[in-house]
Amino acid sequence: MKVIGLADSELESSLRKAGIGMSVSEARSIASILGRDPTLAELFCYDAMWSEHCSYKSSRAVLREFLPTEGPNVVLGPVEDSGIVSIDDEWCVVISHESHNHPSQILPNEGAATGIGGIVRDVNCMGARVVATADPLRFGDPYGRESSRVRWVAEGVVDGIWQYGNALGVPVIAGDVVFSRCFDYNCLVNVVAIGVVRRDEIIRSRAPPGSGEKGYDVILVGKPTDSSGFGGVVFASDTLREEEEETNRGAVQIPDPFLKNVLFKANEDLFRLVREEGVEIGFKDLGGGGLTCASSEMGAAGGYGMEIDLDRLHVAGEFPPEVLCIAETQERFLIIAPRELSERILRIYNVDWDLPNVYEGARASVIGRMTTHDRYIVRHRGEEVVNVPIKHLTGGIRYERAWRPRIRNLLEPDVKMPEDLNSVMLDLLSSPNIASREHIYRYYDTEVQGNTVIRPGEADAGLIAPIRGKDFGIALSVDSNPFYGRISPYWGGATAVAEAMRNVAAIGATPSTLTDCLNFGNPEKPEAFWEFRESVRGLADAARNLWLKGYPGQPVPIVSGNVSFYNESPEGAVDPSPVIACVGVMKDINKAITMPLKECGDVLYLLGPRFDELGGSEYYRVIWGVTGANVPVVRFPLERSMIYTVIDAVDREILRAAHDISNGGMAVTAAEMCMLSDHGISIDISGVGDMRSDRLLFSESSGFIVEVVDGAEQEFVSIASSYNLNPVRLGRVSTGSIEIVRDGKVLVRLDPEDARDAWSSGLREAMR
Amino acid sequence: MRIAVVQFPGTNCEHETLVAVKECGMDGEIFRWNRPEQELCEFDGYVIPGGFSYQDRVRAGVIASKEPVMATLREEAERGKPIVGICNGFQVLVESGILPFGDGVRLALAQNVMIRGGEIVRRGYYCAWTMLRHDAEEKRCSGSYILRRGDILSIPIAHAEGNLVASDRKVIERLIDDGQIVFRYCSERGEIINEFPVNVNGSTENIAGICNPEGNVLGMMPHPERAFFAWQLPRKHPRVQGYGPGRLIFESMKRYIEERRS
Repeated sequence: MKVIGLADSELESSLRKAGIGMSVSEARSIASILGRDPTLAELFCYDAMWSEHCSYKSSRAVLREFLPTEGPNVVLGPVEDSGIVSIDDEWCVVISHESHNHPSQILPNEGAATGIGGIVRDVNCMGARVVATADPLRFGDPYGRESSRVRWVAEGVVDGIWQYGNALGVPVIAGDVVFSRCFDYNCLVNVVAIGVVRRDEIIRSRAPPGSGEKGYDVILVGKPTDSSGFGGVVFASDTLREEEEETNRGAVQIPDPFLKNVLFKANEDLFRLVREEGVEIGFKDLGGGGLTCASSEMGAAGGYGMEIDLDRLHVAGEFPPEVLCIAETQERFLIIAPRELSERILRIYNVDWDLPNVYEGARASVIGRMTTHDRYIVRHRGEEVVNVPIKHLTGGIRYERAWRPRIRNLLEPDVKMPEDLNSVMLDLLSSPNIASREHIYRYYDTEVQGNTVIRPGEADAGLIAPIRGKDFGIALSVDSNPFYGRISPYWGGATAVAEAMRNVAAIGATPSTLTDCLNFGNPEKPEAFWEFRESVRGLADAARNLWLKGYPGQPVPIVSGNVSFYNESPEGAVDPSPVIACVGVMKDINKAITMPLKECGDVLYLLGPRFDELGGSEYYRVIWGVTGANVPVVRFPLERSMIYTVIDAVDREILRAAHDISNGGMAVTAAEMCMLSDHGISIDISGVGDMRSDRLLFSESSGFIVEVVDGAEQEFVSIASSYNLNPVRLGRVSTGSIEIVRDGKVLVRLDPEDARDAWSSGLREAMR
Repeated sequence: MRIAVVQFPGTNCEHETLVAVKECGMDGEIFRWNRPEQELCEFDGYVIPGGFSYQDRVRAGVIASKEPVMATLREEAERGKPIVGICNGFQVLVESGILPFGDGVRLALAQNVMIRGGEIVRRGYYCAWTMLRHDAEEKRCSGSYILRRGDILSIPIAHAEGNLVASDRKVIERLIDDGQIVFRYCSERGEIINEFPVNVNGSTENIAGICNPEGNVLGMMPHPERAFFAWQLPRKHPRVQGYGPGRLIFESMKRYIEERRS
């Protein structure tokens, strides 16, 4: 394609006409490196590789500046498809976290399903068995201006998740859902997957040492390549416009959990073969940017070049070379392996697991070989269609984006004391953002694989015991509150980290690693980039200051993540949404506790003082229709002490239930513990603080409510005081109602059945 | 004692099912669909585990029911060997006609329809822990051999099509008369209430599992392998140690094989 010699305006129009998203200056820099006009296929390859999605061109500098990615338990930081941390001397947990926002807004079912499909491949390709997923979801206002579209998206996304994940056979053990008007035109569908692998059996996504000299084979496995998802990463790196919806549909990939199920089993045989032969291979899934992205990144990571022959690909029709290079056909993997092993590898897929008969056109094919030169070469019908320096292609480009604070004139409202706190409670419990998540999680197979110890709805985090014969379990939770992010992106980031860690601690597990999926607007706009930068700074500060338990001063490392910009439509950007996942390690699954109250007569304690920080709270928004300004902040030493106290108390087996305080404040937290059980509570908040009662009850300052075994009060208090905390004794677990008293006056008295009715209908109504 | 856990493309519960088999002291292996079917004859019993065999194409269980391994399983069943079909395995047994009477397709496992107060409150996929009442006589069925009539078990379901229906009411009557109904969805106290959530999927007569007239073939929608260890059970109540109720299904199969031998 002609680049050299064209005027800017001519080049711009010829790029757009060809369907290429890159800027004029990017095209010129490519031509100058090549010393000639690039081919059409080359431009498409660069367009994909230099997209925001693949290259992190806007975000990389900020991530480097702030994120703590190292720690004593880190085995592999954020350099490949997934991060890896150790559990013990033998086993590791592999985690990956991504977004699939744009596709899910356009085609909710397929978009969400391919999100799951992609994330499980990322984990599997490290040699790991995928053992759980989690789904943080953000939808628009179900009662707002776009209610029917919002409900259509929400329903389609949930369907896509269960139809894919259940068939694949990976349990959903965590997730969250938030509804807000800011997601009316841009839903967020984030997906987290975790796997387990022995430390000495990790497989890397790079060309192994020596593979260039020995001319290793490049093998493509899975579904036949078609044109689906062509341009997917470029689509994901732009703002959504309604008038382009039709054309964008072609950029959404087509999922197939059935083929993936068989592929995963065949992959296990591949891993076994490699172990038995004692050789190193390179293994990577094909995701954004398709074949070109996976192959060139593996080659460049190993320091080699490669030659690919498109005529050897198994395909589902006739396609031009640029489509074969960057289409995002799902359910594919790439292997770089010694030539003498190729025949046996092909046999695993094509004969043992019978791919050609399981799915039309699916198989494993040798499509190229590794070389010692530094070029990425692709041939098609005997012609060289791509010949570029491999590191230039994968190196991407960097932008220093400008930032400028977004000024919102937010004020603290002067709300009056409600007369009837019972009705306030019922309104909060039925709010779509607080109501029981049961309507959604009943669609998910939470039990498949038989490893599930704590499932959605039972506690703040999920827990699995993936290795038979071992006592340890892996806990997982996710969190992000867009209402806090709107007021302060910094504290939005910090509170997401703190809450995700509190969730894991609430079952007794120790936070071990974090991932971040950063969902923001258009980074070319200084205000959006400022929000991104502030959120990253906030979450990094929290990770650094909440310390890996047992390693004072060391951060909880962030080993994987994803940046999703351009979550923006002409109506505006989404509120800052740094979604955090936290993996915890539970030493002995038999000690883990859940949220529902267990025994009458046990004592309830509050950890965490209440502060006047109701900005972004459910109480302000649902009852008064205001946002407020005083956002909850994270007091790092206090937060750390609370988390450690709960972990230690669970380990000493003196807690029977725990629940972290978040949306709706301590009153909603206490009610939730009752509604999931057959018990009531009788608590007195006179000793909690001096604020007005509504503020005390509904402030979302961080904390926990815990059920202490009757008779173990002293031991609990002494653990807390060893961390300089003064827990407040609230009362006891009872048989009756949900009762909250202050200074002898009853503030709240609810029949648990009424509370349960309100709480269990809120989400169902919102998604009907 | 060797058990084959039969695997089709799309099966997804074979590993935990094999764990359950082995934990009961039986030998076992996963038997892939494209192995020579005669090799199946060497086994003493069979489990068809859950999943989405052949992607539920056409209808859940249909394609798998036409596989050569199923013809062999039918012959082995006629010899009295035990078969337990769980979830998709139950669907395969019904589509192959091995259940309920061995003479063709007499039942369907239709889409779940949750009905309460005469209204449909939900449809389709549902994953939840359910209570089951054992309604067969002791030793009536290979997969519940050691259970007594009236025993109550807590075992989870996870399916979209488990609503057992027959176009001919006589089929259901015959199942009742011949004691072929093995498990029914019940309340915590064992009452059979034909309302969601007790009847979790709208199944006729709250049926959760049935056996063939001879009793050696059991099909059930709930997943006993997911309630095998005590730690797998929900912790609403103070925790229990050791094993869960799902173990009884696999222990039953083992006892059945032992007694048949002696």
